[in-house]
Amino acid sequence: MRDSGRARVVLAVLLLTAFTLITLDYRSGSGGPLRRIANAVFGPVENAVGDVARPIGSFFSGLGHLSSYKSDNAKLRKEVSQLRSQLRLTDAERARLADEEKLLHLDQLAQFRIVAAHVSAVGGSLDFESTATIDVGSRDGITANMTVIDGDGLVGKTLSVGPATSTVLLANDVQFSAGARLEGSQLIGHVDGGGRGPMTFTLLDSQGTIKVGSRLVTFGDIGQKPFVPEVPIGRVTRVVPTPGALTRTAEVAPYVGFDSLDVVGVVVSAPRTIKRDSLLPPTPTPSSPPPSTPPPSTPPPSTSPTSPSPSRTH
Amino acid sequence: MRRCVLAAVVVVTALLLQVGVVNPLDLPVGQPDLVLLCVVALALVAGPTWGTVVGFAAGLTADVMPPADHALGRLAMAYALVGYAAGLLEDVEERSVVTTVAVVAGASAAVVLLFAGVGALLGDPRVDASSVAHSLAATILYDVILAPFIVPLVSGAARRAEPVTTY
Repeated sequence: MRDSGRARVVLAVLLLTAFTLITLDYRSGSGGPLRRIANAVFGPVENAVGDVARPIGSFFSGLGHLSSYKSDNAKLRKEVSQLRSQLRLTDAERARLADEEKLLHLDQLAQFRIVAAHVSAVGGSLDFESTATIDVGSRDGITANMTVIDGDGLVGKTLSVGPATSTVLLANDVQFSAGARLEGSQLIGHVDGGGRGPMTFTLLDSQGTIKVGSRLVTFGDIGQKPFVPEVPIGRVTRVVPTPGALTRTAEVAPYVGFDSLDVVGVVVSAPRTIKRDSLLPPTPTPSSPPPSTPPPSTPPPSTSPTSPSPSRTH
Repeated sequence: MRRCVLAAVVVVTALLLQVGVVNPLDLPVGQPDLVLLCVVALALVAGPTWGTVVGFAAGLTADVMPPADHALGRLAMAYALVGYAAGLLEDVEERSVVTTVAVVAGASAAVVLLFAGVGALLGDPRVDASSVAHSLAATILYDVILAPFIVPLVSGAARRAEPVTTY
């Protein structure tokens, strides 16, 4: 055991500094010069790390599929191993392409103007937060409080924006809340992220009824900030009994898989009106509840690994 | 001086690996805290003053590095205290793997509780019983698994960087 007076003085000074920072930042809200500098400095580095890490991640996920391609034929083994590496590449490429196709499809349906982006880092801070860094920033026209979507629906909204990166608050974070409307009705309420728990929908009408399987879309905010209207959010999986309460509550299964985000789009502008419920995935039959799996996307037009990806802004 | 540079490189690398590689893997239960492992490893070699300073600097960087979204200084405070405490255990004679793992487990629990505690004081809605329990379980579990690999690596490098003097 070694303790010196100096260590204790240093500890006291630094703790005091930390408390001062916490107080100042808590009062001024998020932002501040330190965070802005960090966005500018670390953002590009995170993009570079993300670019390197993404193929490695898809390599590992690809390994799971590879075993099914194994052949016992010794003669073919060499050929198979060559094909394997090709398959791995095209698998990752194909998944990426399918993601971008879906995003473009939703984007065209709504006539949104979006900026496409990749997720380059995922937050956590000891697993309390659900945030992500995407590789577009103020130089791509992104500002704080913009809707972030992917091909399946609502991903979140932008928080702080650096020159080359933006921080996205994902919709499953506890601090996330968005106005929402029940499909085919005027009933509105708000959807809140649940962190580790389920996402919830609170209907601001004690007379309205929520049915299991009903689907939710964003209601849209004034000036379309932070949320543009009609973006699919998810569907109701359970109605929570709240007898006597002024609001009604339900649990929601989001359309977006937050643990495997890759290609997302930031909505930079949206048309003034969007046809109601036009962006929801099609239902097979109106009477049966919608399928739990997302609708099949159109197959990519080309499986060549060198096929060009869609342009960033369009 | 060389140890300063080493500490900076180790901490920034750990932070980038954390957000860029480890968190996107989406491991079951949760994630390890690479930064904590590095802070503990450096403090165990270099003592309480160093441990405090490295912990504070690492925490502050983690606080501002995108995509973090919480009051600035929360992680700085938690890591500074843990760095100080780990530094007090500097040169615990015959430091075995078991001792190292025990120190890391204690430090993981302390960091989570300090971060969550300040969050609770500030009224952070993200902090509740279930999220704290989850974070505790994941951080302790993965840090204990990784400690026998990362701590000797970082400690060894720090020892080589400044072989004679310790502060």
